[in-house]
Order: sequence, then C-alpha cells, then structure tokens
Amino acid sequence: MRGWLWLLVVLALGGLFWWGMQRNPEELPSVLAKERRPAPDFTLPLLPPYRAEWGEAFRLADHLGKRPIVLNFWASWCYPACYEEAPILEASWRRHREEVLFVGVNTQDKQEEALRFIAQFGLTFPQVYDPRGRVGVDYGMYGVPETFFIDREGRVLARHAGAIDEATLARYLEEALR
Amino acid sequence: MRWVVLLMAFLLPALAQEAPPPDLPPEVFRIARELRCPVCQGESAAESNSGVAVEMRRIIAEMLQEGKTEEEIKASFVERYGEWILYAPPRRGVTLWVWVLPVLGLLLLGLGLFAYFRPKPLPKELLEEAERRLKEPPR
Repeated sequence: MRGWLWLLVVLALGGLFWWGMQRNPEELPSVLAKERRPAPDFTLPLLPPYRAEWGEAFRLADHLGKRPIVLNFWASWCYPACYEEAPILEASWRRHREEVLFVGVNTQDKQEEALRFIAQFGLTFPQVYDPRGRVGVDYGMYGVPETFFIDREGRVLARHAGAIDEATLARYLEEALR
Repeated sequence: MRWVVLLMAFLLPALAQEAPPPDLPPEVFRIARELRCPVCQGESAAESNSGVAVEMRRIIAEMLQEGKTEEEIKASFVERYGEWILYAPPRRGVTLWVWVLPVLGLLLLGLGLFAYFRPKPLPKELLEEAERRLKEPPR
C-alpha cells in the first residue's frame, strides 16, 4: 500500500514536470487577442518623415474597420530582435500596402535614434512616436518587439511577441485578410 | 556675475534633461506594489524603474485623480494583461490551489510528525516482564 502511494506521488510530480517542460515560454497570452476585443484606440504624433503623407497625428480609430492593420511596437535600443524584423515588415508592407495598413509604434525611445533606425531600414509605413509607452500598456504589451494583428472589423486577432519572421507574418496576414 | 555663471553651469544640464517623473503619492506605490512589472523578473510595478513600470505608476496616479477606486484600477490592468498582472493570484478557480495547498501540506506534515513522535504504548510482554522483575526479590 505504502509503496504504491510513493509511486503515485513520484508519477504525479514527474507528470507535472513533463507538462511544464512542454509549455512554450515564448507563448504569451494576450487578453485582447484571446477574446477578440476591439483594438484600443490611440492618437499619437507621427514621426517627421511621415507627416507629409499622414498628417501631424495618427488616430487609429480613423483606420479601424476598413482594412486589416498590423501594429508593430519597436524601439531602436531593441537589438537584435527589432533589427531582424524591420526589413521583413517593410518588404511585406510594400507587397500588401493596398490591402493591409502597417503602423509602427516607436516605444520608449529617443526621437533622433528612432529616426536613425527608420533611415537605416528605409521604413515607408507610418511610424508614430510614443516615448512613454502608454499605448503599449493599453495593448498589454510585455516588451518590444511585439506585433498585433487587427482584423477588418477592428478587433485584435493575434499578438506575436519577439521578432517576427516572414512565414509567421504571412500566416497572420492571410488570416487577417480571410 | 560669477555666481550667475556658476548657477547656469549647474542648471543648464539639469534643464536639458527630460522632465523627471512627477512625485507620486504613496497611494500610487501601494497599488503598484500589487501589480507585476511586465518586463521584469519578480519585481512589482512599484519597485522597478523600467519604462513600463514608470508609465504604469503614472497611469495609476491619473486614475486615482479621476476618482477611480483601487479595485477599478487593478481591474483595468487585468483587462489588458489578464490575471497574470496581479502579484497575488486570485483566491478562486485554479489559483485557489496556490493558497490552499501550502496549508494542506503543513497540515499533512504536522499529522505525519505527530504520528511519528507519538508515545507508543509499550508491548504487553515487555510490561509483564518488567512487573515480574520488580516482584523478584533482589539478588
């Protein structure tokens, strides 16, 4: 009887350990995406290179519910993840700019350094400036880079934490455009 | 004149810096202590100086000024981050086990220790033997 009890305890602990090891530490639950909540609105100043085309300030609500939106949070100090994904995002934006809107949210950064980053990668999709990172908190962001996919109805479809690769980006875009 | 130059030398770099975070009331830190800093390891939003934690404190201060209660403020963070953001797991659902199990474990340990150290009654033969020896005349 006693021996069986010990075996049971050992098996239970082993099972718990195994279950823990199976979990992906990079998987971060997003309440917004899980419940498909409406994307939190924000109005932020655009960085100077984008003002001619997009105006002084960018209001998300003006664009919600028209076409899917890819919201990418980044910072110039976020090396290497933000540097890895920047060219991928830019290439995808150029390919899909008619059907999807890409918006970059520069978070907790200095403007000069953000501008240097933008010039380095030749980013052409609108970039807004949020030095305090308030919008990040609104989206339940953990850390840069994070990318949110907003569907046609203006609801948060998915969140990707960490640098996004081409295949993942394509998969989410396909889902958003469906 | 020299004083003015000296004063400027000290003041100018300070002015050039970004505005320091406003002095926040202790109430803000009390609430922030119960919220996790999203980018830290095991630090609350009150202790961390990371940008997110500073912004969280600012949001708490603003909400307090708007007349929101502590519960409403915490709920607004749970809305965005889920219950993960609360330092103390809620006492219901799955996380209730986190509160119950330690007490249960201690109780079991106490029972085990009690059972182990409880004075056991001596076996009957041993008692009889002792009694017999007592009755024997001393040699």
